[in-house]
Amino acid sequence: MTDILKVENVTLQFGGVKAITDISFNVKEGEICAVIGPNGAGKSSMLNVINGVYLPQIGTVTYDGVARRSINPRDAAIAGMARTFQNIALFQGMTVLENIMTGRNLFMKSTWLEQGLNIGRAREEEKINRLAVEKVIKFLQIESIRKTPVAKLPYGLQKRVELGRALVAEPKILLLDEPMAGMNLEEKADMSCFILEINKEQGITTVMIEHDMGVVMDISDHVVVLDYGKKIGDGSPKEVMANQDVIDAYLGVSH
Amino acid sequence: MIYRETGNFVTNYLKDREIFPLKFDKIIVILGLLILYLYVPTMSEYALSAHIVPILAVGLATVGLNILTGLTGQLSLGTAGFMCVGAFGTYNLMLRVPENLMSLPVALLISGIFAGLVGVIFGLPAIRIKGFYLLVSTLAAQYFVWWFFNSYAWFLNYESSGVVAIAPKMYDYWGLGNLFGVDMQGYPARYLLALTICLGLTYFAKNLLRSNTGRNFMSVRDRDIAASVMGISVPRTKLLAFFVSCFYCGVAGGIYSFLYIGNVDLMIYEIDRSFTILFMLIIGGLGSISGSWLGAIFVYEFPIVFTWIGDYLFQGAFNTAVVENVSNMVYGVFIIALLIREPGGFAALWGTTKQKLRMWPYPH
Amino acid sequence: MDWVYLIEVLVGGLMSGVMYSLVAIGFVLIYKSSGIFNFAQGTMLLFASLTFVKMTENGIDFWTALFIAAGIMVIFGVATERYVIRPLANQDLLALFMATVGLATFQEGFSQFIWDSDVHGLQMSKFLDIGLLDPAPIFMSDHIPWLDILIPKFDIFASLVAGSLIVVLAFFFQKTKTGLSLRAVSDDHMAAMAVGIPLQTVWAVVWAVTGVIALVAGLLWAERVSVSFTLIEAVMKALPVILIGGLTSIPGAIVGGLVIGVGEKLGEIYLADVFGGQGIELWFAYFMALIFLVFRPQGMFGEKLIERV
Repeated sequence: MTDILKVENVTLQFGGVKAITDISFNVKEGEICAVIGPNGAGKSSMLNVINGVYLPQIGTVTYDGVARRSINPRDAAIAGMARTFQNIALFQGMTVLENIMTGRNLFMKSTWLEQGLNIGRAREEEKINRLAVEKVIKFLQIESIRKTPVAKLPYGLQKRVELGRALVAEPKILLLDEPMAGMNLEEKADMSCFILEINKEQGITTVMIEHDMGVVMDISDHVVVLDYGKKIGDGSPKEVMANQDVIDAYLGVSH
Repeated sequence: MIYRETGNFVTNYLKDREIFPLKFDKIIVILGLLILYLYVPTMSEYALSAHIVPILAVGLATVGLNILTGLTGQLSLGTAGFMCVGAFGTYNLMLRVPENLMSLPVALLISGIFAGLVGVIFGLPAIRIKGFYLLVSTLAAQYFVWWFFNSYAWFLNYESSGVVAIAPKMYDYWGLGNLFGVDMQGYPARYLLALTICLGLTYFAKNLLRSNTGRNFMSVRDRDIAASVMGISVPRTKLLAFFVSCFYCGVAGGIYSFLYIGNVDLMIYEIDRSFTILFMLIIGGLGSISGSWLGAIFVYEFPIVFTWIGDYLFQGAFNTAVVENVSNMVYGVFIIALLIREPGGFAALWGTTKQKLRMWPYPH
Repeated sequence: MDWVYLIEVLVGGLMSGVMYSLVAIGFVLIYKSSGIFNFAQGTMLLFASLTFVKMTENGIDFWTALFIAAGIMVIFGVATERYVIRPLANQDLLALFMATVGLATFQEGFSQFIWDSDVHGLQMSKFLDIGLLDPAPIFMSDHIPWLDILIPKFDIFASLVAGSLIVVLAFFFQKTKTGLSLRAVSDDHMAAMAVGIPLQTVWAVVWAVTGVIALVAGLLWAERVSVSFTLIEAVMKALPVILIGGLTSIPGAIVGGLVIGVGEKLGEIYLADVFGGQGIELWFAYFMALIFLVFRPQGMFGEKLIERV
């Protein structure tokens, strides 16, 4: 299995604060890679660097064979990266269906004129892309709320909709930022099933930031541990759990 | 009950997207169109010239502003400036292009494109500037456009008074004079032209709202970083919104000057006009096309109705200053009250009313 | 190069700029403490000065009228907070801005409805001639000669007033506990409430103070443009001032004011020929602000919007 994503010597600074210091790790194609670590370790920042939202001062990210320091978030999307956000970034003014449909925007080639007149290509595309979206809606079991404005949904369901929006773009790699945050046991079980199925059935590489150790141990193939912006662990779940540095970091032993 | 919303099942995705999914609604629309096209032109000249045509003009401008501010979240106070471009554009096209090549509908649409382009230029800063800071750009547009047409007298054909009355022959279609024996300068003809343009553009706007472009607009309004992460080009979306919105405003300006007032006059397109349209938008409900029309009707008709009340019930006690001041107070109160109780404006009020009617006589 | 002329223009621009800043400070005060862009600032100026003028025209003396007008503005500010702002506290900033647009319209109609729509001359300088400084009155209505230029004393007075306002407010925000609470409130209403800051009281105070500032600014402006509807137009000019200075910066308001004031005058005189027309002043300020903002989208001293995803 090849490495679809290679992070090499990335350093990210905000003014005087070093969010990430010299981090390198690889993600194999088709694996589920969990990025864990105490709060403030730089995990979200790492995801943002991969995705192009933040520009690192040093280092390169090689994705799909192409090495770059920076990538425009839009180009990242076109190249097959899709993601969710820690603090849900759904479009609050739209319904579930509309939100997920926005995930298909790269597949819509018709011009605004055609769309305004509702003719030809525009109509066909709405039909075809709606079909793709409905498949995802069915998979995530959210048929009953498809016309509900997302602002009215509880937190857990919003997270699911966000996953749907990312999934519907048919990405090569899925970047999930705390997809289970704030969920109860049942919701977490559902979410884990979804993530596993997405990975196994469709072969989509998944990089996810997660805090729940149970989930991490259960579903991930590969774990990367960050603490204070540095990498302190990298390997299979079992290896990482046995790593003394990792245990210290979580128990708060000063280091 | 004749009006049944249940039992109408959609069988394919395209049907799910229709603007009027209920059969009964479709019938209402057809009836409405028949009334609009066959009965209304026979109404009095007063009704057409003082009420219906001006509402068509300002309503269209409100729809335009809605696309920019309501759908895409870009605050604009330059509406009247863009209307001005449309009015002056139409005038100059009709004046300078040989008769047999140009007619009023064509001139209106082309000047709309001019307005759209001007909008794109003043929309460029929106790529960098966000939020309230963006007000500068549209205000700059408003004042600059006004100054521009005021300074270069060529645009008004060197008319020293600053106001140009539109010549009758400008209403001819391709220099053909009367079309089918109908007086093109007469109000029924003007109304039909305005109506057709407004209906067409409103239909276009509604489609746009439901399409990928509309979703792109709204995503830029709601969370532009997330939008770009999904592959949506935020700059391109913003500029497109400016273009389309200002196109609408430009056409509305042309309609206002040519089909309503009959003059091209800079005083029509000053900043208070921009505010009036903004009030129409807020009261009608941001993001709702039908709301824009409701808001336009309300804001336009209120002073007229109020004056009428004064004349009939209080023997003309309300002079123009009083009417204007009371109107402003009413608009202000309505805006604040609506924002507190029903932020979706009249459009949302209508939706809530429909819901209550569905439930009646049950409270919920 | 007529240096004297240039200096005269510069001084005129500076004075102009100070006037703009006076209005801008009101905006910034509210924005800094609540994130609300108060569109009604201009109409508050009109309302305040109109109330004052109507009283003095009806024989009430200067100081009494001033206190009553200030009192009315305080009541108005508190009422605004209670009936307009508080009910909307959980909505987004765009909604609050639109509420101030509604407020402005209402106030515009209301001021002219209960008083009238006429133009009222208001020579503050004459009041200050007599009212202020006995027994050695300084005649405010004339000029100080400097370098062959005549600087109206009143403009100097206005600058002093604006300057002291800035100093007092800046000190207030930076050094006092209340000022700190205000900054906390503007950052995040919910968090501020959670730590026990009395949101409603704080906002009522802010709106009341802004009302009084509007009174001061309105009276000083009236010297130039009289008390009438055009006062509101003057305020439209203050917008580029705040936007250049940064919506959250009080010193920015004065710097922005000076930049616009001087820039406008220079533009009118030296660039009018380039553009072949008079009246560049109309849009020049906006263009200056526009170009400035393109390079620094948050204004000179404004806080950078950091969006966390």
